[in-house]
Amino acid sequence: MDKVLECYQNAFVEAFELEDKSQLSTLKYQSIEEWDSIGHMALMAELEAQFGITIKTEDLIQFESYNQGVDILARYNVRITL
Amino acid sequence: MSLLQKPLVVQKFRDFHDYVKNNDGKIGLKQRGLDMNLNNGCNLKCEHCFTLSPQGLNTKDRIPVEKVKDIGDQADELGIFEIDLQGGELLLNKEYLFDVLNALGTERFYVYLTTNGYFMTSEIAKKLAELGVDRVSVSIDSMDPETHDTFRGKKGSWERAINALKLVQEEGIAPYLNITVGRYNVDSDDLRLLLEYSKDNRYTTLLNIATPGGMWRNMHEICINDEDSHHLINMRKHYKNILRNLWDPFDRNREGVIGCNTVNRLYITPIGDVLPCPYVHIKIGNIFESSLKQISENGFRVKYFREYSEKCLAGEDTTFIKKFMAKEDTTIFAPQLIKDLFSDKEILPDDISLPVPRHY
Repeated sequence: MDKVLECYQNAFVEAFELEDKSQLSTLKYQSIEEWDSIGHMALMAELEAQFGITIKTEDLIQFESYNQGVDILARYNVRITL
Repeated sequence: MSLLQKPLVVQKFRDFHDYVKNNDGKIGLKQRGLDMNLNNGCNLKCEHCFTLSPQGLNTKDRIPVEKVKDIGDQADELGIFEIDLQGGELLLNKEYLFDVLNALGTERFYVYLTTNGYFMTSEIAKKLAELGVDRVSVSIDSMDPETHDTFRGKKGSWERAINALKLVQEEGIAPYLNITVGRYNVDSDDLRLLLEYSKDNRYTTLLNIATPGGMWRNMHEICINDEDSHHLINMRKHYKNILRNLWDPFDRNREGVIGCNTVNRLYITPIGDVLPCPYVHIKIGNIFESSLKQISENGFRVKYFREYSEKCLAGEDTTFIKKFMAKEDTTIFAPQLIKDLFSDKEILPDDISLPVPRHY
C-alpha cells in the first residue's frame, strides 16, 4: 500500500480507535460516535503529526469526510491516492 | 447544527486543545466556559439544589438581555468557547430565554441549555436549534421514575425529562444526560442502568459530582472518596460517552485529568456575582462592576483556584471543603469573600497574565 495512504488511514484508526479499515471510505463527521467535535480535534492532531503540517481552521471546518479530506490535504502537498 | 458550522467556536476549541496539549495535559489559566444562572426560578424542588431555588431564593432577579450581549462579547475576547445557560428552570420563561439567545451571538459559542426538561416540547426544541443551541442537558437521577420524581419533588418529572432528551435529539441538538454522582450511588445498579440507557440512546453522559452546598450544605457524607474517583475513571474507560469537566477530553487512554475548572469556567449568578464555579460559593467579582478578564485574574490570584488540582475542589477535596465551604448561611447569593476566607499566603502576587486567544 502507498505509504502516504497508509499514514492517512492510520490517522483515522488512531483518532477513532477503529478496529479495522474496512469502513473508512464511508466515514463522515458524526457518522460514528467517535467522530464528534472532540474526535475531530483528535483526528486533526493525528493528521498534523503524521504529515508534519498545520491545518488551517478553514480547512479543518471543511474536513467532513474521509474522502473530502484527501482534497483538503492536497492543499498541504500531501498527495493521497485512494 | 454541526459544530463545524461555527468556525469561531472551532478556532477557540482548537486553541483550547493546543493549550492543554502544550501544558502537559493541564488546564492552567486557560478560560473555557461560562455557566450563567440567568434566573433562579424553578418549577421543581430538587433535594440537592445548589442554588436553593426550592427555598425561593432570588427568583425575581435575572440578568438583563443587554448585559448578556456584553458578557458574550467579553467572553469571546477571552477565548471562551462554551456557555451553559441554566437556572432555575429557564423554560419557565422561554421568551426571555429566546431573547438571551438572540443577544448572545450563538455563532460564537458552543451553547447549551441545562433544563429539567419538564416544559420541553418539539416546538421549543426546534426553536432552540434555530437559535443556535448545540446541546441540551437534562438531569436524570434514576431509571426508576418514582425515585426520580421523589428526588425532584414533582410527579411526572421523570417522564418529561426522558422525553425532553428525545425531543432535542430529533432536532439535531446533542442530548446530554446529566447524572449527579455521590457516595450514595457511585457503585449502584441505578447508576449503571442510567449509563447503559444513555449509551444505548447515543446520548452523552455528563457526571456532576455531588457537593455539600446549597440544599446539601454540610452533608459531607455525600462526597465521593478516592476509590470512587478511580471507579469513575474505570467507568469512563468502559463507556466512551462519559464526561466530567475536569477530565481531559482529548486523552485517548481516558485517564487524563486537566484539573479542577475553578475560574476556567466561571459561574455568574442572576445578580451578576461571579463565582469560580457553580459549587464553590466564593465571590471573585461582579459583572456590573468589573470585566470578565479582571474577575478571572482576581480569581486566579487565589492559590487553590490557580494551582492544578486533580480533584474537584467542591466535591472531592475534603480539606478544601472543610476549610472553605463549611460556613453557615453561605449561598450563591450570599457568597463568601476572598478577603474574609484566605490568608495572605493563600493569595498569590498580582501578576496574572491570561493566555491570549489566537483568534484575536
